[in-house]
Amino acid sequence: MKFSIFDFLRTICTTIDKTHRSNVCALTVTEVEELQNVFALLLLGSFIGLPSPPSFLAVELLPYMQKELEILNERAQDANDKMAEMFGTLGIG
Amino acid sequence: MTTLIILVGFALYLLLYFTYGKKIEKDVLKVSDDNPAPSEKLYDGVDFVPARKEVLLGHHFASIAGAAPIIGPAIAMCWGWLPGLLWVWFGNAFIGAVHDYLALMASVRYDGKSIQFVASDLMGKRTGTAFYWIVFFLLILVVAAFAAIIGGIFVRTPAVASSYAWKIGAALILGVLMYRLKMNFAVATIIGIVMLMLAIWLGTVTPIKASYTVWMWVFFFYIIIAAAIPVNILLQPRDYLNSWLLYAGLAIGFLAAVFTFKGFEIPAVSGFAPVLLGGKPTPFWPAIPLVIACGSLSGFHALVASGTSSKQLTKESDALPIGYGSMLLEGFLSTIVVVSIAGFGYTALLNAGVDAATVNMENWGAMFTKASAKVKMGGANLFVQSYADMVGASFLGFISPKFLKVLAGMWVASFAMTTLDTTNRLGRYCLVEMASPLKESATGFYNFLTNRWIASVIPAAIGVYLAASGNWLIIWGSFGAANQLIASIALMTGAGYVAKKMKSSFANVALVPAWLLWITVTAAIIWFIFAVQIGALAAKPVPGWTVLVLLIVMLVLNFVFIYDFIKSKSYKLEA
Repeated sequence: MKFSIFDFLRTICTTIDKTHRSNVCALTVTEVEELQNVFALLLLGSFIGLPSPPSFLAVELLPYMQKELEILNERAQDANDKMAEMFGTLGIG
Repeated sequence: MTTLIILVGFALYLLLYFTYGKKIEKDVLKVSDDNPAPSEKLYDGVDFVPARKEVLLGHHFASIAGAAPIIGPAIAMCWGWLPGLLWVWFGNAFIGAVHDYLALMASVRYDGKSIQFVASDLMGKRTGTAFYWIVFFLLILVVAAFAAIIGGIFVRTPAVASSYAWKIGAALILGVLMYRLKMNFAVATIIGIVMLMLAIWLGTVTPIKASYTVWMWVFFFYIIIAAAIPVNILLQPRDYLNSWLLYAGLAIGFLAAVFTFKGFEIPAVSGFAPVLLGGKPTPFWPAIPLVIACGSLSGFHALVASGTSSKQLTKESDALPIGYGSMLLEGFLSTIVVVSIAGFGYTALLNAGVDAATVNMENWGAMFTKASAKVKMGGANLFVQSYADMVGASFLGFISPKFLKVLAGMWVASFAMTTLDTTNRLGRYCLVEMASPLKESATGFYNFLTNRWIASVIPAAIGVYLAASGNWLIIWGSFGAANQLIASIALMTGAGYVAKKMKSSFANVALVPAWLLWITVTAAIIWFIFAVQIGALAAKPVPGWTVLVLLIVMLVLNFVFIYDFIKSKSYKLEA
């Protein structure tokens, strides 16, 4: 494939743009994830004994929450292993 | 000489990346893109999402680069410019970068679990628990060391303090523009950079003068508040502006170092044991890892690598540039620091009031640290002035020297301040985890300890107190000891993974530096306790005993760890 300086420069600019967009959101994304966890617990907490919405409401919402449940299950498995993730996200420097 | 060293450093790192780095990739870790990375295996579109390696490299490098790769080499000038540089070059490529790379790959192979989890799996649960304790003590010492450094910068160069205050304002405005008004990203970025430059300029015309003690109080309240407010208000936009400071500092420093063509003003080697930590003769071995951390080797990096980077890796072969390559890049940053001080540091000292008869090439090792501290030109301040002078002597000399000095000061101070409130958040988390055994047995005490504000105040109060009352070089040495202890455990874990799980016949490539590092760090901590810390007790008993107790506990945990490592037989290949 023929090397093109314009394509090369375009790739550099795109990469720099993506890198900066990633940097400008990283911490905010982490906070959003925490809020998502709280939201999921509020909606489905009745299944684990939390006084959250009445069970019939939670059951009604269940089909729409499949993906959230899968993600929450994964996060629960990693819940005791958060230190390194915090180091990475907060950027100890 | 400046040009030569920079170009040699650049070439050396490139050579080692493509030879030694590739060897570890191919023969030790047996990296293959046929092995799915966690982002592919566990892809969920939320937590496990692949990122391009260039983007991940930028993010990873910004996470690990900070003030430490600048301060350490500046302090290490007491040995002359060569010993520290050799540690930055070869210690980095053969130990530090290997440490980062192994930690990243071990985490990738463990489906994105942290190095702490890997250590627990390979060595036992006790090792994982010990991590929390060592990290918590490390975080306290980080607060102490960095608060002391920033306090020293703010006192010597009040314009930096003012610039930082203006920068906080700029970060608050940027946060509103980006997250509330949802302004176009490129436009907001340009406005942010303009505000940053304005903040630096405003700092030169509105310096804030205050005493060291006042700054300690300011930092104490700043840490607690910054660690409690939502990140999108201050921390996120501030960190984004920091990344631009990093790029500017690196680019300007690199260009200036290459195009200055200046000889070095300080001796290549001043002696094996010049006066340094605690005012005592400090032997290059084993003390060098305590002095130069992040530019060559840092335990923090293992945690960062096994935190988010491993989860976002697209394929295994991306780990080499991210794990190994970014550490070499940080070493290159430290090379720029060495070059700037070696080329311009002595003149900076003379201009600050040091007499040529007091410090010269003959008595450099004996007098450098003491004389530079006397005129408040130790560590960070020496780098700030040297950097400004180096850029001023190059084709970039049209930039105002005052602006350059504040830029360099802001570079160090911004990253150090970021580290302060980050460590407070992390310290709060560690404290909660460490207190969990008390949940059932002492519920009231547990609730008190884990209260959000109490858990924030404890590491901040102890750290800032140590900074306010202690000798900052002793604190720096203690911070280095704790950091390298984590590095030693992480490298042993990575080496144990290679020996036990990979069964690679090249496992010694990892095991040998791991053992060498463990022996060096253990010897360094023992030397530090007996040669430095015990002698410091009489002058300041409370901070002295605080640091001594932390060091002793960490040393004990270190021996417990090596016992678990040997018992687990992770140190040799299984038949």
